Amino acid sequence: MAGNDSVPKIRLEAACKVFDSRGMRVEALGPLTLEAYDGEFVVFVGPSGCGKTTLLNLVAGFEFPTSGRVLVDGQPVTDPGPDRVMIFQEPALFPWLTVRDNVCFGLRQHGHLTSRERRAIAERHLALVQFDGFADAYVHELSGGMKQRVALARALAPQPRVLLCDEPFGSLDALTRERLYGELQEIHQHTHKTILFVTHNTREAACLANRIVVLTGRPARIKRVLPNDLPRPRDFYDPRVIQLAAGILDELKAELTADREGAHAR
Amino acid sequence: MPDRRETRRQDVGLLVFLLALVAVWQIAFSLRLLPAYAFPSPLAVGRRLVELARSGSLGESAKASLFRMALGFSLSAALGLLVGLSMGVSPVVNRLLKSLFLGVQTLPSVAWVPIALLLFGLRDAAIYFVIVMSSAAAMAIATADGIANIPPHYLRAARTLGVSRLAMGYRVVLPAALPQIVGGIKLGWTLGWHGVVSAELIRSSIGLGFLLHMGRELNDAAQVVGIMLVTVGIGLLVDRLLFGWIERSIRMRWGLDR
Repeated sequence: MAGNDSVPKIRLEAACKVFDSRGMRVEALGPLTLEAYDGEFVVFVGPSGCGKTTLLNLVAGFEFPTSGRVLVDGQPVTDPGPDRVMIFQEPALFPWLTVRDNVCFGLRQHGHLTSRERRAIAERHLALVQFDGFADAYVHELSGGMKQRVALARALAPQPRVLLCDEPFGSLDALTRERLYGELQEIHQHTHKTILFVTHNTREAACLANRIVVLTGRPARIKRVLPNDLPRPRDFYDPRVIQLAAGILDELKAELTADREGAHAR
Repeated sequence: MPDRRETRRQDVGLLVFLLALVAVWQIAFSLRLLPAYAFPSPLAVGRRLVELARSGSLGESAKASLFRMALGFSLSAALGLLVGLSMGVSPVVNRLLKSLFLGVQTLPSVAWVPIALLLFGLRDAAIYFVIVMSSAAAMAIATADGIANIPPHYLRAARTLGVSRLAMGYRVVLPAALPQIVGGIKLGWTLGWHGVVSAELIRSSIGLGFLLHMGRELNDAAQVVGIMLVTVGIGLLVDRLLFGWIERSIRMRWGLDR
């Protein structure tokens, strides 16, 4: 699955991002070079505020690299697009639409679909994310977990090849989160989408990823890449998952110490 | 869901309060605190209103004022929304126009009447002008603020789902700003209503403002007070029933109200 395609699905070539805010130069990312192949589930772990989200924003097309390149299917990213849908920590559902219309939202750009076809696609994706509520409900009537399920269904409905996840489960309770880990793994196995997933939760990373990329503190660079071949579906409480998570945590701790010492040396 | 019994109890409470107010008014009249020609009794006001209604002039005047509002206010709302939209889209336009509009808003609507007469003479256009000038700025500001306050994650979610820049306006920006826009239209209605009555007061041969003016000319305090009450009544009715209903249903859908 990985590495057998000649063109990687996503490629960052020495991508750097520097922000200029009120005269302050903030180096957020890079230089960072990385490839993700079709169907890979890559999880980025790093200290909070290290520029993980910036990395996803570059691939999504919300931001552009200050130097270096970001390629999807060998083409530089110029715009956000429904071939790479991002889901956020807050579900960002539209409160003026019903659950079903939220899921249909990205389908309206496909002019050739009739409203009945769109409806059917929406129902199918709501079932896929195990949404067991009322599709005619408005967003405020849903629980946090249900909202994030609908957001996932909305992201999947336009059939993106790439899913970009920015700590999507960060604000959910533990129980809901663990159920969603199972469901996201299932969706990945069924659809073989390329998923880039950002988190600071090491257990989450160990549970979900094919490949774990540990990032350094700001500016985010690759510190270590850990392959993860544990059989799927993985349980959150599988001792091997816990052990791997401990390994990731050690890397992160070493990074934090190095960062602090670096600061002292400066 | 709102508690129906609770709201009904509140309605009854309000009714009792209003009746008590009328009672105090009647008592004050009976005590002869002020001369009767300046301070009519509620009974006299009621009687005068019935007379006006019977003669048909009350109905015609109310209709005339409402018709002017329908036209003038639609024009004003269209302008306000359009300008507000361009303010919401362009920070430069927003900076320039907002301070201007906030200034314009400090003018009482009646202050627009002299210039309206100079510009348009004794035509109804003068009244439409006053309605627009007294209400459009508030609606433009509300629309612009509504757009500025859209949570950025709605826009990001829409962009990642492939919504084009053009479609963004009507698929995300307008619906997301709608609660605030409707609030602005509601406020604009009240301001426009001030405008229409002010303008009629000074120039017209029909309308609620005209009846107010006639009441003063004829030293008929009962008519003056009666028409003031009718003006308040119609203004509130449209504000609460029509716009209030629209606003409530939007807020319920969004989950802003329970």
